Amino acid sequence: MDPMDVLAIAGKMRYANNSNYKNDTMIRKEAFVHKCVLEELKRIIEDSEIMAEDDALWPQPDRVGRQELEIVIGDQHISFTTSKIGSLVDVNQSKDTEGLRCFYYLVQDLKCLVFSLIALHFKIKPI
Amino acid sequence: MWLIAVEGWILFITGVHEEAQEEDIYDKFAEFGEIKNLHLNLDRRTGFLKGYALVEFESYKSANAALESLNGADILGQTVHVNWGFVKGPHIRKRGRRDDDRRRH
Repeated sequence: MDPMDVLAIAGKMRYANNSNYKNDTMIRKEAFVHKCVLEELKRIIEDSEIMAEDDALWPQPDRVGRQELEIVIGDQHISFTTSKIGSLVDVNQSKDTEGLRCFYYLVQDLKCLVFSLIALHFKIKPI
Repeated sequence: MWLIAVEGWILFITGVHEEAQEEDIYDKFAEFGEIKNLHLNLDRRTGFLKGYALVEFESYKSANAALESLNGADILGQTVHVNWGFVKGPHIRKRGRRDDDRRRH
């Protein structure tokens, strides 16, 4: 067996949430999703057209917080870093309203999918 | 601290028509057994359905029957695909170096 073989593990979903509530430790969950879930995730990302966007003009992370999204699809690799977005007001006040709006909605859609997967699989409501 | 999945069989459905109602999905799947949970998420921008659903059955038998029967079925004029949402372990793909493509004798 060639020791240089690389194992690519597809479909692993990992979730981590910092809980500062009463000295709780970090919450971690892990599960393996079916290929069809990955395909749907891919479809959602491609439909959003986020791959054409750029965070150059987006607000920098600040005291309030940060968001990071990294996507690898095929040979495309893109990542975004920005501040937390409270609402569309923040989007409309930014220097790249189209791009930030796209990001804003995509993040919500992705969270919806992931939270459904987590809630059903682990029988709890993630925050 | 790792949490392990508990009982329940979860199906992942794609190709759901954006104007489908919860009942449309519920009624089709309830035919096969008692549904414990149903998630039919919205597109956060448009308010229409995003296009996927998750259905949880109590028994494997019901879930599998629903899967076999409804995978490829028509709901509101659109073909849905039904699969398991989760798998037991990683789908491992071995990727060798490019050299491996050349056969050596």
